[in-house]
Amino acid sequence: MSKNIMLGGNDAVALAAKQSFVDVVSAYPITPQTSIIEKIANYIADGAIDTTFIKVESEHSAMAAAIGASVSGSRVFTATSSQGLLLMHEVLHWASGARLPIVMANANRAVAPPWSIWAESTDSLSQRDTGWIQIYVSNAQEAYDFTIMGFRIAEKVLFPAMICMDGFLLTHTKEPVKIFDDEEIADFIKVKEPRKILDTYKPEAFGALAFPNDYMKIKAAQHNNMVSGIENIKEIMGEFNRLYGRNYSSIDIYGDENAEVSIVTIGTLAETAHLTVDKLNKEGIGCKLVNLHILRPFPKEDLQKALSASKHIVVFDRNISHGKGGIIKDETAGGLGLSNVIGFVCGLGGFDVTDDDMARAVRGVVNGTIKEDSIIGAEL
Amino acid sequence: MKNINREEILLPNHLACPGCGASLSMRLALKALGRRTMIVIPACCWTVINGPLGKNYAGVPVFHTAFETTAAVASGIKASLNRQGKNDITVMGWAGDGGTFDIGLQALSGAAERNEDIIYVCYDNEAYMNTGVQRSSATPFGAETTTTPSPYTKVRPKKNLMEIAAAHEVPYIASATLAYPKDLIKKFDKAKNTRGFKLIHLFSPCPPGHKSREDQTVNISKLSVETGIFPLYEIEDGEYKLSKKPKFSDIREYLSLQGRFKHITDEQINTINKNIEKRWERLNKRFV
Repeated sequence: MSKNIMLGGNDAVALAAKQSFVDVVSAYPITPQTSIIEKIANYIADGAIDTTFIKVESEHSAMAAAIGASVSGSRVFTATSSQGLLLMHEVLHWASGARLPIVMANANRAVAPPWSIWAESTDSLSQRDTGWIQIYVSNAQEAYDFTIMGFRIAEKVLFPAMICMDGFLLTHTKEPVKIFDDEEIADFIKVKEPRKILDTYKPEAFGALAFPNDYMKIKAAQHNNMVSGIENIKEIMGEFNRLYGRNYSSIDIYGDENAEVSIVTIGTLAETAHLTVDKLNKEGIGCKLVNLHILRPFPKEDLQKALSASKHIVVFDRNISHGKGGIIKDETAGGLGLSNVIGFVCGLGGFDVTDDDMARAVRGVVNGTIKEDSIIGAEL
Repeated sequence: MKNINREEILLPNHLACPGCGASLSMRLALKALGRRTMIVIPACCWTVINGPLGKNYAGVPVFHTAFETTAAVASGIKASLNRQGKNDITVMGWAGDGGTFDIGLQALSGAAERNEDIIYVCYDNEAYMNTGVQRSSATPFGAETTTTPSPYTKVRPKKNLMEIAAAHEVPYIASATLAYPKDLIKKFDKAKNTRGFKLIHLFSPCPPGHKSREDQTVNISKLSVETGIFPLYEIEDGEYKLSKKPKFSDIREYLSLQGRFKHITDEQINTINKNIEKRWERLNKRFV
């Protein structure tokens, strides 16, 4: 039977990993990811799970060991954040290129210098092009559910999956989470897809030098598999919904679908944006929220459908591409070829963003006083 | 010592240069390890030697990986195999000196400290040969490379990998070189049958990189031991055992066979001799 308990995002992810029969965990500590791997270490110490934990000497080795464990047939989990994720960059490409279904939680944290340990999604968004499935969650329930689904998704599509959640705002904030009994989730999570692994009876070389003709084909197939993977991801979400009544999609819409204004965002900003939508609707500004859960593969059709009737699209980004602006704004406008998109970069390094801040920005766009992308919260 | 396995696991059509020490070493290593072996190969000559996409001249499963990840990937493979009850499979990291002494040292140290049940092999040809002979921290004093051209040859001695490994207090560490095939095979056999972390340091002559004749590979390998330049020994649970007592023959013959030393001066030769002397003074105190 499911039950409701209070869990922080990190606790929820650790519990999901525990219930997902993970064979191997390899990880290196970094704030604010630490309580995930501490919890897993405690599960192992208590005999609650049968998992091998490789306590590596760096994030680079965390991903490298995860790659080794995955390519020889194990279900593998790891977790990191910010600088750690950036250190992994090279091997993130390796994991996806080798088509390994590793699941990793990333606590979204700002990137130094200057040092900051607080929420910002520039870390994982700068890994957007590493060929990983990227999932952004907004609350502890989603962190729990998407980590469990993450294993099935990764193993179905044969790409590694990154579950991204805002540092502290989500990783450390306790919320009620509806969790499964181990038996209840077993049918869903025990499903394993057959895949090619290292085998002494069939001695092959993995990842050998490919000349341009082969390389081109392999990389095109990787892209095409990722694009079509959105359907596989939806299948897994559909199965999860049928079994447990929790309905997820690549995007989550809150408010009137035909509203004139659409707010687009990811992560915990979506929780705040719920309040903004309510507030603006009361003022008579028709407004809805489009919360992007799956960033890669890019859910083009779903997003297009959600935004096609919008007069104004306002994107809030807790991240920045210096010299360009918010990354989700760029994804939305560029990915769909839209010109009616205004982006606001906000909340960098954990800077507070309120529903009023967002409402003010949307009003400005609607009444025509704001015509350009801008940064809010940095007014001198 | 039992008879050397007649079975050839390494396929003869591999892509090594003529006279390559690294391919000869692999041939011998696999004779000891057998077919229940998996190899992790980072960026190095063996990335090429093992053949392009669709080929696998090693004859056992190979995972090609990023330059600095050998020891970590091997750790992951071993952990995964153990969980599946495939405990009899030997997992071997097979990296060059660049991937070991330089960029892979951190992961190597991590795996050694965790006492991962893997064999880490460094086939040391004393420079970045695959990229066209640039100096590494394994390049010896006085050697010319493309980034240490004469007269600015390498001024610092080679890093001491064996002692770095020894500082991790792991079960088995050995040096070997192909001119002594029985010794080499015996050491791989011992590594295979020892649980925990094993490091084998192979001196591996490289005709294009050392500017030596292809038919001199075995001779150079032999002279590296006879001169005392490359000591052959084992460290078993901290106990030092000498494998081959050198003759301390004149190093000039060893140097003269390799174009990389062609500009070496008498003064530099004196320095090399002094370094050999000092090294052996330290080593001799440790042998039981």
